[in-house]
Amino acid sequence: MKATRIIITAMTLKWAYRAANSITGFASSVIGCGCEADIERELDPSETPDGRPGIAVMVFAMSTKDLENQVPKRVGQSVMTAATTACYAGLHTDREIPLGKTLRYFGDGYQISKILNGRRFWRIPVMHGEFVCEETTGVTNAIGGGNFLVMGKTARHALTACEKAVEEIKKVNGVITAFPGGIVGSGSKVGSKYKFLAASTNEAYCPTLKGQVKSELPNEVGSVLEIVIDGLNEEVIQQAMRVGIHAVCSYGPKKGIYRISAGNYGGHLGAYHFHLKDIVK
Amino acid sequence: MKPLLFKLKSKPEFTLDVSPLTPDKLAGLTLAKIKAINLSYGKQKIPVDKLFSVTGSDTDNIQLLNSTEKLICVGQNMSYGCIEVKGDVGNLTGQYMQGGTIRIEGNTGTWTGNSMENGHIEITGNTGDFLGSGLPGDPHGMSNGLIFIHGNAGDRVGDRMRRGMIIINGRAGDYCGSRMCAGTIIILDKAGKHSGFGMKRGTIILAKQPRHISATFKSCGNLKMQFLRLLFKQLSEMGAQFSVFNKYGPEVHRFSGDLASNGKGEILILQTIKSRN
Repeated sequence: MKATRIIITAMTLKWAYRAANSITGFASSVIGCGCEADIERELDPSETPDGRPGIAVMVFAMSTKDLENQVPKRVGQSVMTAATTACYAGLHTDREIPLGKTLRYFGDGYQISKILNGRRFWRIPVMHGEFVCEETTGVTNAIGGGNFLVMGKTARHALTACEKAVEEIKKVNGVITAFPGGIVGSGSKVGSKYKFLAASTNEAYCPTLKGQVKSELPNEVGSVLEIVIDGLNEEVIQQAMRVGIHAVCSYGPKKGIYRISAGNYGGHLGAYHFHLKDIVK
Repeated sequence: MKPLLFKLKSKPEFTLDVSPLTPDKLAGLTLAKIKAINLSYGKQKIPVDKLFSVTGSDTDNIQLLNSTEKLICVGQNMSYGCIEVKGDVGNLTGQYMQGGTIRIEGNTGTWTGNSMENGHIEITGNTGDFLGSGLPGDPHGMSNGLIFIHGNAGDRVGDRMRRGMIIINGRAGDYCGSRMCAGTIIILDKAGKHSGFGMKRGTIILAKQPRHISATFKSCGNLKMQFLRLLFKQLSEMGAQFSVFNKYGPEVHRFSGDLASNGKGEILILQTIKSRN
């Protein structure tokens, strides 16, 4: 996968969040949304290019072209339209995709280009004042789909543990959990009986089908949730999985958490394999 | 390695073109070959060691000591490395420079940074007219890089400037930013008359209210410019000498112009004012 990071700043953190939440909306899976995106972390004013409160957002897609297609559109519709915001590159690499490069035309000829420290910024006059946007943002190789499954007694038990896991994963830089709340309620398998469908429900882990299909679930499991992690490299994904699994395991069987597993897909999906036994060592 | 030192033995009578003394042109030369380089001195050519005592070996770091205003074309066409000068220098310092750093501990003459394409020029004293401009016949003035003047500058700062940034700690003369195509000029003290005369695009930032603003500039009112937050934060992080930018905020009075030209340039006055003068 390919990834980029963008930095959104605004007059207050609240408005930076508004823009960040908007740009990461409908971006849970590359299969249906074109990209996976989430808030990576909050940024202190001292960490942002313009000294205002900010949010780092990471966007993952299957190719640079897909990112090129998704990111400018999302910045244009979700960040530029949010009051008082500005948008900057969060990655500086040789490979770049447009950010303000295409958005500048919104300025209808009144846009102004400025180069600071070798980086080009566009000043687009807008009704709230001025929308400042860096011309490009860097793209890097990344890994998507690091995952683990949490098997609990009920959905409430599994959800409580997963919420704690996502909280811990958020503390790791360089990773995101793109699904709503960081948790997948309907994990999928590759393919389907229907030819037109690329992914379908993972029946081996559906508790309601335990007696109907070749189930992977023990009798006591009544709900399975999945946490999917995208990251910039293997190390950060392993670290995120480790802290997540430890957080889930801290609940234990007495609190309704029975097993941890992972979507393996027969070992055929993706170039990277994360073995849970090695990760939790 | 020790910096390559050129110490002037006596004050030259005529202008001395030191453009051959750049890291690019001295790279790989032995000390003997460097001493034998002929420099244009008035109407004649004389070898380097007649005028300079030369020591050291690091051609990437060149120092000119006891310099006077007779030395011209310091760092002309250089693309990397560093030239430090103790004393004044004459005209055309950093002309057509493509990279590297020139630091002058003294004053410079006219046409400093003439049509420079990149790099960094720092002058601790004052500079003459046409800073960062382009000579007649050059397509435009400086097209990238940074010029930082601790003292004052003469007239026509950034004339026909294309890109890059000029920062002047002191005062600037008349016609600052005249015929600018783009780029940024920041004057932290008073600027003379007719700032931005004929500018098409570009930004002139004045920390103090100028005595005069041309009639062809239209007031856009007192505003908070988001870009200035970015500019001042980025500048203040560039080193201690730029820490002064910490004290400036985004509040400005914006004038757009020159309406007699393209009209897409701007003069930003960091002190907000009630109405145009």
